[in-house]
Amino acid sequence: MKIIFDDVSLSFGQHEIFKNISLELRGGKIIGVTGANGAGKSTFLKLAGKILKPDSGSVNFPDDKKIAAVSPEMKIYDNLTAEENLRFFADLRGKILSAEKISELGERVGLDLETFGKTRAENFSTGMRQRLKFAILLSVDAEIWLLDEPTANLDDAGREKFFKEIQAAQSEKIILLATNDKFEIELCNEIIRLPL
Amino acid sequence: MKLSDFPFKQVAAILRKDFLIGMRRRATFAAMMMFALTAVASLSLSTGGAFVEPKLLAALLWVVIFFAASAGIAGTFDDEATAGTLPTLKLYANAQAILFGKMIYVFLSLVALTIFILPIFLILFDAAIENFFLLLATVFLGLIGLSAAGTLTAALTTSATVKGGLFPILLFPITLPIFLPAISLTEISFTGEAVDSGLLVVMTVFDLILITASSILFDYL
Repeated sequence: MKIIFDDVSLSFGQHEIFKNISLELRGGKIIGVTGANGAGKSTFLKLAGKILKPDSGSVNFPDDKKIAAVSPEMKIYDNLTAEENLRFFADLRGKILSAEKISELGERVGLDLETFGKTRAENFSTGMRQRLKFAILLSVDAEIWLLDEPTANLDDAGREKFFKEIQAAQSEKIILLATNDKFEIELCNEIIRLPL
Repeated sequence: MKLSDFPFKQVAAILRKDFLIGMRRRATFAAMMMFALTAVASLSLSTGGAFVEPKLLAALLWVVIFFAASAGIAGTFDDEATAGTLPTLKLYANAQAILFGKMIYVFLSLVALTIFILPIFLILFDAAIENFFLLLATVFLGLIGLSAAGTLTAALTTSATVKGGLFPILLFPITLPIFLPAISLTEISFTGEAVDSGLLVVMTVFDLILITASSILFDYL
């Protein structure tokens, strides 16, 4: 499985972000995307996931490959409980989550869903929301993971859980990790450095 | 897209989610109801109990429904965009599922609005219905068209900075071909005259056009 960038260019107004980029992102490893603020890390991930269309060129991967993401821009529903959020996104991907599965997901991300499962997300701290986003990521069985500064709001225990999960998942997925965190960069098998 | 490929389960999931959030927030729904109630009460007071021609009565009913609906439908996508959930929804759900999930939710909200306001309207204007089934069919077809056009217009205006004013301005010309026959048919349902089935056909065809156009255009938004 791979994502192919074919002569991709993208500008925002007069600001050219990418010019004639051609590369292949292969599965089975964690690919880090680093660069200074404004270098286009988040934009690169959006292009890779076909969330954003390039001005010219194309990004290709098989249509049947599913994407999941953790990003500061992608919010969960504050008016839904943690369980309802999980069930909703799993539903969208044709998954039915049992109570046991929800409990297991909570354990994997370090969020006690037996206690907080019926609590609306609006009452969650930023870190708890981030953990819920991870639980959603894990629940939907996507082949491509787009992770944009995924541990920014997590404590050490949360970070450890997250690193364990992405290392366990890397063999069967394409994982793109946009980060400037040195520890996260060390986890990556391949690094794409974006110039400013 | 084949019918068997259509993401019905995603549509159901989005509808369920919107219904759940709608029940919890209630603000949008309350705004629609209050707008309709205020408008009907004001119109009724201004006529002072005088006889109102069926044609004018029918027009007033649809004007109230149009503007009350505008107050609710305008936020269909804007609420998600403001909360930051729209990018997440777009990532996990098929675009057509988002459109139809929202469209059905809007339609059901408008049905609830009409069930609420129609009896009040009839009582305050002392209007009698001579052909109930015609009124039912007219309202059903009218609300389908309004839901289809409204959902697409709400998607179009999500990124606009003056969406409050823009929404009804854009929606009105799109829904006019639905409202004109709807007003005529509603008048007939009040007077009990012979039904012009051609008008029902016009409404049905225009509903189908609006749904199809929304479905085609939504992929490009």
